[in-house]
Amino acid sequence: MSDVTPEQQVADLVEDGKAEQAAIVKPAAEPRVRRLNLIGKRNWFFALSLIIIVPGIVSMATRHFALGIDFAGGTELTVNFAGHPSLAAVQNAVDAEGANGSVISTGGDGYIIRYPPLAAAQLTSVQADLKNRLGPTNVQQILEVGGTIAGETIFLSVLAVVLASVAILLLLAIRFRNVPGGWRAGFQFGGSALAALLHDVFILTGIFSILGAFLKLRVGEIDAFFVTAVLTVVGFSVHDTIVVFDRIRENLRVSQRLSFEQVVNLSIMQTAARSIITSFTVVLVLAAILFAGGTTLQGLALALLIGIVSGTYSSIFNAAPLLVVWRRLQPLR
Amino acid sequence: MQLVLSWPIRLFVVAVLIISLFVDGAGYVYRIVNKLPLQGNVAGLPPNFGGLQLYFHKGLDLAGGTHIDYQLTNFPAGQNRADVQQRTIQVINKRVNSLNVSEPEIRGAGTNNDRITVDLAGVNAEQAQKAIGAVSKLVYTTWVPDTKVTGGEYPGYKPALSGLTGDDIQSATATIDSTGTAWVVNITFTSHGADTFDRLTRANVAACPGDSTTVASANCPQRHLAIWLDLTQTDIDHWEDASYVAKVSSPYDPGCLATQAAGTVCGKFLTDPITREEIAGGQAQISGSFTQQSANDLATGINSGSLPVDLQVLDVTQVSATLGAESVKLSIAAGLLGLAIVVIFMIVYYRVPGFLASLALLFYAGAVLAIFKLVPVTLTLAGITGFVLSVGMAVDANVLIFERFKEEVRAGRTITAAVDAAVRRAWPAIRDSNTSTIITCVILGFVGPSAVKGFAITLAIGVFASLVSSIVVTHNLLAIVLAGGGFRRAGLLGVDRVRSV
Repeated sequence: MSDVTPEQQVADLVEDGKAEQAAIVKPAAEPRVRRLNLIGKRNWFFALSLIIIVPGIVSMATRHFALGIDFAGGTELTVNFAGHPSLAAVQNAVDAEGANGSVISTGGDGYIIRYPPLAAAQLTSVQADLKNRLGPTNVQQILEVGGTIAGETIFLSVLAVVLASVAILLLLAIRFRNVPGGWRAGFQFGGSALAALLHDVFILTGIFSILGAFLKLRVGEIDAFFVTAVLTVVGFSVHDTIVVFDRIRENLRVSQRLSFEQVVNLSIMQTAARSIITSFTVVLVLAAILFAGGTTLQGLALALLIGIVSGTYSSIFNAAPLLVVWRRLQPLR
Repeated sequence: MQLVLSWPIRLFVVAVLIISLFVDGAGYVYRIVNKLPLQGNVAGLPPNFGGLQLYFHKGLDLAGGTHIDYQLTNFPAGQNRADVQQRTIQVINKRVNSLNVSEPEIRGAGTNNDRITVDLAGVNAEQAQKAIGAVSKLVYTTWVPDTKVTGGEYPGYKPALSGLTGDDIQSATATIDSTGTAWVVNITFTSHGADTFDRLTRANVAACPGDSTTVASANCPQRHLAIWLDLTQTDIDHWEDASYVAKVSSPYDPGCLATQAAGTVCGKFLTDPITREEIAGGQAQISGSFTQQSANDLATGINSGSLPVDLQVLDVTQVSATLGAESVKLSIAAGLLGLAIVVIFMIVYYRVPGFLASLALLFYAGAVLAIFKLVPVTLTLAGITGFVLSVGMAVDANVLIFERFKEEVRAGRTITAAVDAAVRRAWPAIRDSNTSTIITCVILGFVGPSAVKGFAITLAIGVFASLVSSIVVTHNLLAIVLAGGGFRRAGLLGVDRVRSV
C-alpha cells in the first residue's frame, strides 16, 4: 500500500474539487441530517459528559475502587459444592474457619471465597475444612497473589496507561503537524484527542468506581483485565478521533471558504456514520462476549462496552468541539 | 493502487489463503495421512506436520493447571546470576518431571534474573508446590572414625561431607533389575560427578577389602556412602549428641523441614548403601529390599537435586480442567456469535461490498488462526478476547472505505473511480488509527502485567492481519467483481444511485 502524500491528496482534491464544492455549496442536495449544527450545541455535549464524569470522580475520591485479587493481593478460591449449600451456610462455614474469608456467590452452586494471603499449608487445611463442613467440593480455580506482585501489577498498569497516552499525543502531533498552523496546530489536534481520551478513561474508571465501591457489584472490581480494557478503549477512542480529525485536515484544504467551525461541523457529519457503525459492530461482538462469554470475562466485556460507547461519543461530541474551543482561544489562521 | 491490484499481489493473497487453510487443517491432514479417526482423542497427537508441531497452544486458563511465580533469594556470592537462574530452572525441570506433565514451561523472568515462572498443565497447586519447593540439598557423606560418637547407625563413626552433591547427579530412575525380580534405583552421574564417585568408591573398597556379601570384615562403616538431604556441617558437628543423631538420622521428612521451627531437628536421612566394588564410568545401582513405591520415592528424592538458591512463592494460579474446557467452549461460542453478527450486519447494510468484506473477514480469521499455530502463540482467555475483538476492528477499515465509497458515488464519480478514490482517501485515517492501536499493544506487551500480554499479542496480530485483509483483499475482490458489470446496480451496492459510464 503506497502512502498518500499531501501533494497527491491536494492534486486529487483539486481534480474533483468541483464535485465536492458543489455538494457543499448546494446544501439542498445533501441529506437533511447534514444541516445539524453540532458545534453550536457543544456546551450541551460537554455538560452531558460532566453529568457522568463528576459523580464518577466523587466516587473515586471518596470510595476509591473495589480491587480485584490481582491488585489487592490475597487468596481466592472458586468452588462448586455438590451439596447445594446456601450462601449463608457457606459464609457460616468460612467464618468458622477463622481465616477471615469472605464469600461471594457466582450463581448456581458456585462460590468465590476470598482470604488474606494464605500459606500453602493453610490453603490445604482450609480446603479440607470446607469439604468437612459442606460436603464434596469441586475447586475450579485458586488464585494466590502476594503483596509484591500486586504492587507491581498496579505500578505496571498505571505506567502502561501513561506511556500509551504520551505516545498517542506524540503520534497525533506528528501526523497533524502538516495542517495549516504547523506544530502548534498539531498539538491542538493532539491535545484535543488526548482530552477526549482522558474523558473516556474518567468515564470508565468513574463508572467502575460507582459499580464496585458504591454499589458493591463484583463486576465493578478492577484488575489487570480492567487495565487491558482501559488501554483498548484508549486505542479505540483515538481511532474514532483520528477519523474525524483526518477529515478536518482534508476539508481544511478543500473548503477554504468555510470557517473553521463550519469545516469541523461538516467533517463530523461526514464521519459520524462510519464512527457509529464501526462502534456498533464492535458493541455487537462485545455484547456476544458479555452474554455468552462466562463470568471470567464479564468485567472485561462490560468495561470495553462502556469505554467504546464513550469513545465514540467523545470523538464526535467532545474532541472536535474542543478543537474549536481551543482554536478560538489560540487562533492560528 | 496499481501495486495493490496487480496480479503478483493477488497470487500472494491466494497463496496465503491456501497455506492458512492447510495450517488450520494440519491436524486433519495428519489424521488422514496416518489413517487415524478424524475425531476424538488419538494417542500420538498433537499432529506432527513436516517436523513442525502445529496445534493450538492452550494457556493454563484454558487447559487447566497451575501457574506459579517464584522469587529467587540467597544467590550464591560470586556467581553469574543468569547462570544460577538457569541452573535453578534445570533443577525445577528435573523435579517436575516426576509429575508427568506434558510440556512443562519453566521460564526465567525478572529484571535481575531473580524470578522464575512455572506453568504446569493438569497439575494442582499443592502437587506442584510439593514437587518444586519441598525438596532440599542432596549430599553424599563418607563415614569417618570419631571415638566420641555413641549413637546413630555406627557408634564410633560420624559422617563427613564427601564433596559429591545433587549437582553431580544427572538422573536417578527406579527400575526392575536385570533378573526381573527386584526393584533398584539407577543413578547416572555427570562427568565431574563420575570422577568424584569413582574416587570415593575406590577409597571405600580400600578401607576394608573383600567381597562384602560373604566376608564379614569387608562390611565396615567406611565402606558405606550415605545420601542425605539438607545435611549440613552443623548437623555433623552435633554427632556426639546421641539424641540429636537419632533424630537427624530418621528418614527424610520434607514436612518437618518446610515448617522448621527453631530448635527442632528434622529427619534428613535418605539411604546408606554399601559399596560392593569401585565404580568407574558414572553409572551406579542401589539395590536392596525395595518395593516399587520405595524405589520411586528414593529416585525422586535423589532427582530433586540441589537448588542453588531459595525459592519464595510470589503468586499461584490454579485452574481446573473443567473450568478451562468451559472457557474454551464459551470463547468459541462468543467468537462465532460475534463473527456471525458482524457478517450479517455487513451484508445487510452494505450489500455486495459487505458480502465481499465478509469473505475478506473469513480470510482474515483463517490467516490469523494459522499464525497462532505457526508462531506459536499461547492462547489464553484474554488472548482469545483480543482475537474476537480484532474481528470487530477488522471491519473498521472496510466500513471507512465503504462509507467513503458511498460519498464518492454521491459526488458523481463512476463506480470504478469511486472505489479507487475511497481506498486512497480512507487510507491515512486507517493507517493512523491502526498505528495508535499497535502502539498501545506494544506498550501493553512490554510493560503490561503478565496477565494482559497475551491480549496485546493477539490484538496486535489481529490488527495487522485486518489491515492486509481490508486494504488488499477487499479492494481486489471489489475490483474483480465490479469489473464484470453485473453488480453495478444501486441496490446491490448500497448507494442511492449509480452513474452510468
